[in-house]
Amino acid sequence: MKAAQFETHEPDTVEEAVSLLESLDDRAILAGGQSMVPMLRFRLAVPETVIDINCIDGLDYLEEEDGWLRIGALTRHADVEESALIDERYGSFADTAPLVADPQIRNRGTVAGAIAQADPKGDWGSVVLAHEGEVVAQGPDGERVIPAEDFFLLPYDTTLDENELITEIRVPTPAPREGSAYHKLKRKVGDYAMAGSAARLVLDEDGRIENAAIGLTAVDITNVRATDAEDHLEGERPGSEVFKRAGELAAEQSNPESDEHGDAGYKERMVNVLTQRALGDAAERAGLVKRRVSQ
Amino acid sequence: MTDTREITLTVNGTEHTIDVEPRQLLVHAIREELDLTGTHIGCDTGNCGACTVLKDGEPIKSCLMFATQADGSELMTVEGMEDLPEAGEDLHPLQEGFREEHGLQCGYCTPGMLMSGKALLDENPDPSEEEIREAISGNLCRCTGYQNIVRSIEYAAEELEAGEIAAADGGVVTDADGSTITPAEMTDADGEFDCGVENCCGGPMTDRDHDSIAGGESE
Ligand SMILES: Cc1cc2nc3c(=O)[nH]c(=O)nc-3n(C[C@H](O)[C@H](O)[C@H](O)COP(=O)(O)OP(=O)(O)OC[C@H]3O[C@@H](n4cnc5c(N)ncnc54)[C@H](O)[C@@H]3O)c2cc1C
Ligand code: FES
Ligand code: FES
Repeated sequence: MKAAQFETHEPDTVEEAVSLLESLDDRAILAGGQSMVPMLRFRLAVPETVIDINCIDGLDYLEEEDGWLRIGALTRHADVEESALIDERYGSFADTAPLVADPQIRNRGTVAGAIAQADPKGDWGSVVLAHEGEVVAQGPDGERVIPAEDFFLLPYDTTLDENELITEIRVPTPAPREGSAYHKLKRKVGDYAMAGSAARLVLDEDGRIENAAIGLTAVDITNVRATDAEDHLEGERPGSEVFKRAGELAAEQSNPESDEHGDAGYKERMVNVLTQRALGDAAERAGLVKRRVSQ
Repeated sequence: MTDTREITLTVNGTEHTIDVEPRQLLVHAIREELDLTGTHIGCDTGNCGACTVLKDGEPIKSCLMFATQADGSELMTVEGMEDLPEAGEDLHPLQEGFREEHGLQCGYCTPGMLMSGKALLDENPDPSEEEIREAISGNLCRCTGYQNIVRSIEYAAEELEAGEIAAADGGVVTDADGSTITPAEMTDADGEFDCGVENCCGGPMTDRDHDSIAGGESE
């Protein structure tokens, strides 16, 4: 199907984009287009105007600054995949990037666009939740910082104001004994997750878990934190027994729906397994020399 | 509302200025405005990869992008392959690979496969099987199966490397045992038709048949 007719604007600056958002009634933002172009074609979105933000300079950065890993709104999945900094310091991001869609889509799609899309099956939401990250938005009244935890409302619905543009996604730079990982179950290459689990662990000097954060994919109405599992982990020494219990708790707290990929019970068991694996990798990357938890 | 916009696309080295509606997809601009129908449309959802083209050297799905977004960029489609410096008399080594290794049956996915293969070999001239599988993971093939497609890309990687060595040695390729063979002899040896492979179409073809077919349908 062809998209309905629309007009396009290609602002050169964030300010220009925001003033277009403010002055135009019926408009949509176009970033990588890997979700938006199909939505326009299937007429799930029928805006009068499309604001294509790809011409804005200086939004395609991926860097550490002032204690944050900052990901500009035009940074593509492939930029994360190819980044040496990510490879070295952000295990969960390095795990996730090559698991999003396929190479062609990763060349166009952006991390910020995926977060804005707020698909509960999207991978980046879980990762940013597990890193206790933030969404930085620019609106008519200036900048607003939204903690990832407060960002996702419903499938495809967020707390972003309709006149706001996301300019950056950011997560704190890793603490000294921090490790993170992402595990995803999918039917075949390029598919969305049937279930996914992002885990991040920070250990104290004694090797106990000081901070644990887990984000889950495709098992609730949004990407969600597995808070019961996190509470169970904190203060414990990492190991297969605690991870096993954390996996169970994450599964209990998840709310998957039965569909063609499997029934809810199966998906809960997968949440359990994926969470244990992600925790195992995270602990290893936090510097704990321990064999990876296998199942 | 139905305003069109003038955009410039450089496709396979030739600059085109066309008028497009903002809602025009890049794949439609390529096929319908520029008449380059080698780029296929296989799905309506961004899944199949048949519409893959190179935009400024990177593989993208041209059905997931509006034509206006490609304004000013350099595109490459399957039609441009035979004009590349590494192409021989008629086919590019990748195209030759797909012929020699039975990398296609209906051919619907082939232009997209070739583009993903080209992007891979440009970055990584000596890919492992796993790297090849990753590079074509956004391209679906419903008939050939991927074994032969992987082999076709491997074939091209070897041919391209042989071509480079040959160029460096002034046209003479040195064999592993140190003896020298000419590029023509090598093509003969490698080009020998060898089937008996799972997922083969099973057609009772000889190498000569392949050559005559390829010669007959010069696009
Ligand atoms: C076949 C296929 C497979 C896929 N598989 C996966 C997968 O496995 N995992 C996964 O996570 N994703 C997957 N995706 C989605 C992909 O990651 C998209 O790139 C992503 O969802 C949207 O990012 P985008 O930059 O393309 O945004 P767009 O498509 O341009 O925009 C998406 C939405 O976000 C809004 N938006 C974009 N940028 C901003 C901004 N800066 N500020 C405010 N709003 C903004 C748009 O208005 C729109 O509503 C897949 C997509 C396809 C087509
Ligand atoms: S036609 Fe573009 S991905 Fe199928
Ligand atoms: S050869 Fe028919 S789809 Fe690949």
